[in-house]
Amino acid sequence: MGDRRVGQGEGTLSITGLGSCVAIVLYDEASHVGGLAHVLLPDRSFSKRDRRWLFVTEAVPALLDELEEAGAERTRLTARLVGGAAMFEDLAPQDRPNIGRRNVSAARRALARVGIPIVAEDVGGGFGRSIDFDLSNGRIVVSSQGKSRVEI
Amino acid sequence: MNAKRDLHDKELDALKEVANIGAGHAATALSQLTHRRIMIDVPKVQMCTIEEAASAVGDGGVVAAVLLQVLGDMTGRSLLLFEKNLALQLADMLLSREPGTTKVFAEFEQSALKETANILTGAYLNGLSDMLGLMLIPSVPSLAIDLSAAILSTAYLDFNYEQGNVIILDTRFRFDPGDASMSGHFVLLPDPASLEVILKAARLV
Repeated sequence: MGDRRVGQGEGTLSITGLGSCVAIVLYDEASHVGGLAHVLLPDRSFSKRDRRWLFVTEAVPALLDELEEAGAERTRLTARLVGGAAMFEDLAPQDRPNIGRRNVSAARRALARVGIPIVAEDVGGGFGRSIDFDLSNGRIVVSSQGKSRVEI
Repeated sequence: MNAKRDLHDKELDALKEVANIGAGHAATALSQLTHRRIMIDVPKVQMCTIEEAASAVGDGGVVAAVLLQVLGDMTGRSLLLFEKNLALQLADMLLSREPGTTKVFAEFEQSALKETANILTGAYLNGLSDMLGLMLIPSVPSLAIDLSAAILSTAYLDFNYEQGNVIILDTRFRFDPGDASMSGHFVLLPDPASLEVILKAARLV
């Protein structure tokens, strides 16, 4: 949470328990370089904490840099988004959109800004998600409590 | 981070004492309700960031979580997390079932868990109220069954994302002497100004 991981070729990058956070997953199919950022908030206006991996707007370009350093080609990268759920909706403040939805829209905007297409999403809803990101093919298996697994 | 932790050791010790008294009251109430012997204590209190909290509340598995808004002299939320086995066992007890009967959290079981959470949260908040001289009023509970990290982060982010640290009270349940204990966590997510209120009040104890 509030961090990122980058890998290449083999193995799996996993996150257990995404709630309103969003996982931004980038993959270059040719070099098999992939990475994910597990971010909490849209941008710095939401928190005084000084950590770039907390924020969508800063995590996207930073992850992009790290992937390029690891051998990915920027123009080949595709993105997948997972998370952005809303739980405890009965108690959540009614006067503003929930943070999960804002994280997802911020991620879409940030990716559009750097020109990376989103090829798949599994976002929203009222439940948590766990993901396994397969570095050999870029696919993500999403699992949730009481729901069948989805591959995107 | 460590320096900050040291600075707050004394306050956290005071909170632990308060929490143990509250846990004692909650255990008495739950024992009376279920006609079973229930012991609850708080072995550890810690303050940490939300990222650290996710690993501090266990192995990241499925938990039953009850969230309440706290109003009054301190505003924020309280989150009670029961590991799944503990939640099933609590439901058995509250619904006077043979141990091992409850397998899923249907409406009936959920309301039993909310009831338990009300009792526990009420006891903790009363303890805080009495000892720290703060007026604290809990809202109605909201329940979710999900992975602990998903629950924690959402409870934190969806309400007041500007807050800094959270306070975690490890809560140990034992149902019969000699039984293995099961663990729950009571997490206080105070709004930033309220965290200061709590720590300041605890300093004066």
